[in-house]
Amino acid sequence: MPQNEHIELHRKRHGRRLDYEERQRKKLARAAHDRSQMAKTLRGHKAKLYHKKRYSEKVEMRKLLKQHEEKEQKNTMEQPDKGAVPAYLLDRQQQTTGTVLSNMIKQKRKQKAGKFNVPIPQVRAVSDAEAFKVVKTGKTNRKGWKRMVTKVTFVGESFTRKPAKFERFIRPMGLRFKKAHVTHPELQTTFHLPIVGVKKNPSSQMYTSLGVITKGTIIEVNVSELGMVTQGGKVVWGKFAQVTNNPENDGCINAVLLI
Amino acid sequence: MTSMYNFKRITVVPNASELKDVVLSKTQRKTPTVVHRQYSIGRIRAFYARKIKFLQQTLHDKLTQIINEFPKMEEIHPFYSDLMNILYDRDHYKIALGQMNTARHLIDGIAREYVRLMKYADSLYRCKMLKRAALGRMVKLLKRQKSSFEYLEQVRQHLSRLPSIDPSTRTLILCGFPNVGKSSFINNVTRADVEVQPYAFTTKALYVGHLDYRFLRWQVIDTPGILDQPLEDRNTIEMQAVTALAHLKASVLFMMDVSEQCDRTIEEQLHLFESIRPLFANKPVLIGLNKVDIRHRGDLPAEKAALLDQLEKEGIPIVETSTLTQEGVMSLRDRACDELLAQRVEAKIQAKKITNIEDSVLNRVFVAYPAPRDEKVRAPFVPPGLAAKRAAKKLAAENAMDVDDVETVGASAGAVSEFRDENMRRLEREIELAMEDDYILDLKKHYMLKNPDEKYDIVPEIWEGHNLADFVDPEIQQKLESLLKEEELLEQAGEYESDLDSDDEETKEKMALALQIREKEKLLTLEHTVNKRIAGRVGSRVHTRKRERSMSRLEHELGELGVDIDTKKMKNLQGQCAKPQLGKKVCSRRSSISSPPLLQPRPIANERMKVGRARSLSAVRPAPRDELAFPDEEKRAHVDKLRTKAMRGLRREAKKGEADRHVYDLKPKHLFCGKRGNGKTDWR
Repeated sequence: MPQNEHIELHRKRHGRRLDYEERQRKKLARAAHDRSQMAKTLRGHKAKLYHKKRYSEKVEMRKLLKQHEEKEQKNTMEQPDKGAVPAYLLDRQQQTTGTVLSNMIKQKRKQKAGKFNVPIPQVRAVSDAEAFKVVKTGKTNRKGWKRMVTKVTFVGESFTRKPAKFERFIRPMGLRFKKAHVTHPELQTTFHLPIVGVKKNPSSQMYTSLGVITKGTIIEVNVSELGMVTQGGKVVWGKFAQVTNNPENDGCINAVLLI
Repeated sequence: MTSMYNFKRITVVPNASELKDVVLSKTQRKTPTVVHRQYSIGRIRAFYARKIKFLQQTLHDKLTQIINEFPKMEEIHPFYSDLMNILYDRDHYKIALGQMNTARHLIDGIAREYVRLMKYADSLYRCKMLKRAALGRMVKLLKRQKSSFEYLEQVRQHLSRLPSIDPSTRTLILCGFPNVGKSSFINNVTRADVEVQPYAFTTKALYVGHLDYRFLRWQVIDTPGILDQPLEDRNTIEMQAVTALAHLKASVLFMMDVSEQCDRTIEEQLHLFESIRPLFANKPVLIGLNKVDIRHRGDLPAEKAALLDQLEKEGIPIVETSTLTQEGVMSLRDRACDELLAQRVEAKIQAKKITNIEDSVLNRVFVAYPAPRDEKVRAPFVPPGLAAKRAAKKLAAENAMDVDDVETVGASAGAVSEFRDENMRRLEREIELAMEDDYILDLKKHYMLKNPDEKYDIVPEIWEGHNLADFVDPEIQQKLESLLKEEELLEQAGEYESDLDSDDEETKEKMALALQIREKEKLLTLEHTVNKRIAGRVGSRVHTRKRERSMSRLEHELGELGVDIDTKKMKNLQGQCAKPQLGKKVCSRRSSISSPPLLQPRPIANERMKVGRARSLSAVRPAPRDELAFPDEEKRAHVDKLRTKAMRGLRREAKKGEADRHVYDLKPKHLFCGKRGNGKTDWR
């Protein structure tokens, strides 16, 4: 025992209080009451945090209980008829555990979901009014032919802005993105990959040509980092991915790789 | 120095989820919480940007605090550095702190990025979502460093409980095999209270105790036992001992067990000594032969004793001790302390020799030699008369050397003024030395006056404009003598004896008179109390003063009582009367302004010389206005009465009278501003 651990030293020399165990037991027994009292009196932000935490704890507990129940459960399952069965096999029932059962159900659900494995099948249309902001120009600010894109955009490396007089669409520097968080659906891992281009924005052809990225947009990402190979053995470097979030609201682009 | 290696002040490192809750709720508490859709977009953006920045700053501060408070491995003493390496693993420690640093950088970056994005947000919803994303991402970085936080907290707890060892002070280190009596020894010489048990490796960490020897404070370090094995095989417990031995400049006490009860033979113990000997380089080493109460050194077999003797021949002292009976414990301690002290003193002297004070000063002084700008010689200027003067002085000095056998007082005075020539005025001090007892301090001889004969004239003493000599009566002594003689004669004649008897006629008469006076006094006071109200309202002070304490009044009043007043008996009162009285003066002034009374020549008999500052003349003031208005006293009294009567009603109701000050509002605001719709300039 190191030199300065006074509490431990004292405990070692003199032991605990004589009623220590009793007090611990009572404290434990009282804990639920105390907790409920606190839950009742908490207000505001603290209450919100507390109840959220308590809720997740309870979920956790229930899951655990269920797991244990499944482990202990031993029920019988009727064997489906497979034609005639020899007498010595009659009245035999296959015994399975609950876990196996539930696993099977889960597997089935997954397969069913697999059928519609397009990340985002339906996309909300983005109107021009939403995506563009009118910029007033002219000496007296009367003209309104200029537009500013309010969504996240991808602008290629070689892009040069037109002279201000002819520039109809402004894509602000702060909203230009070069990289996206792309999730590989099979590996269930996410990579930070550079964007190559915007393949298609389902809302409008114009958005596609402007490089506007909204939810559901198909973008092309550079996957050379992942070292993917085609069946022929060539290295794949560009792959499509679909954007799954609203980049202008989240400040980042999340996408799912399309395989 | 000790405080430098005090790791107790590191603040508690919170765990990741706690920190998350703390910073988020702090952001919630310390930033505004109310925002509305209809606010201008700039305001909404600022509202949310502030939240992001606030969280970033809070996290930045917290992480910086952690990074700064933990000791840097490179900066602390190598002993502590190594100890920390052994206990906490240097790489792990550095990585954990490095991760804190990275997290701090990343958080700063995220905040910057989102504040920039906030600029393009065009609605409250978007602002809010961006804020949410920003806070979430910043907090998530903390969650990722969960293990580092936990590790650092554990390190903090352990660090704060490390014994505070000062690496630079006077130290004794105990080392040796397990179970040889190191802890017992430290318990004997200090109050460290280390656990002692009869099994090996009872002590698993370093222990520190302090003792006083020769009025100095020494620290004693008890180390865990070391086994005889190569360095790579040593475990953490042993390594602590090795670190202490390696880095601390101390006196080493190698404890041995003569009785061999610790399951190690003497040969084994000596082998360990040899194997860790490199660690003892340049340190005083002593061997304590412990447990001599069980077996004495003399009882050892010859071959073992020979080994010990050989060691002693090499110059390593061996002291027999017994921690049980405390035999030899103190002598071992004293020897170890002495040797270390001697070594430290020697080292200090050596260090001083190298950096000699003069040398070090010379090294620091910079002498500039200016580069010559042309061929011209610029020699230092020596006044032409100096050479001659020097020669003369040299000659004089030689002469003095020649006649030094006749050492007169004058010569010694001359020796004092070695650097003066004959023309220079001699100092009073020199004159004093030369004349010894005959010397009188004469400051007047140097007076510079128009007529030098007047130097020693007596200067009249003036005090407040008067020559003191005028007041000295040259015949005062004779007068006093004559007075005394007269007194003596009177006494002899029995002039004073008759006063003492009180029952003669005259005295009785006087007593009766006194009784009468007292009764009259009582009557007067009674009358006074009755008429107090009237008495309180006697006219102005001027008149009061005029009436009281006049000689004539006294004479008259006392005469009424039957006392005959002789003017000579009332000397005091006469003096008072001689003083100009305020009331009188005013009266006289008023009566004859053309001839002020002060300028009138007084009778010579009353003339007394005034000593001190002459009294300044006060300005002539007119009499009070009521007096001016009614010079006749009766009329004035009548007017007074009328006035009080007129005021009575007002006074009773505490109303404002004619004498009360009132500032009239000549231009009342309500009559002079605003449009003239309602009324006129004069009324509204």
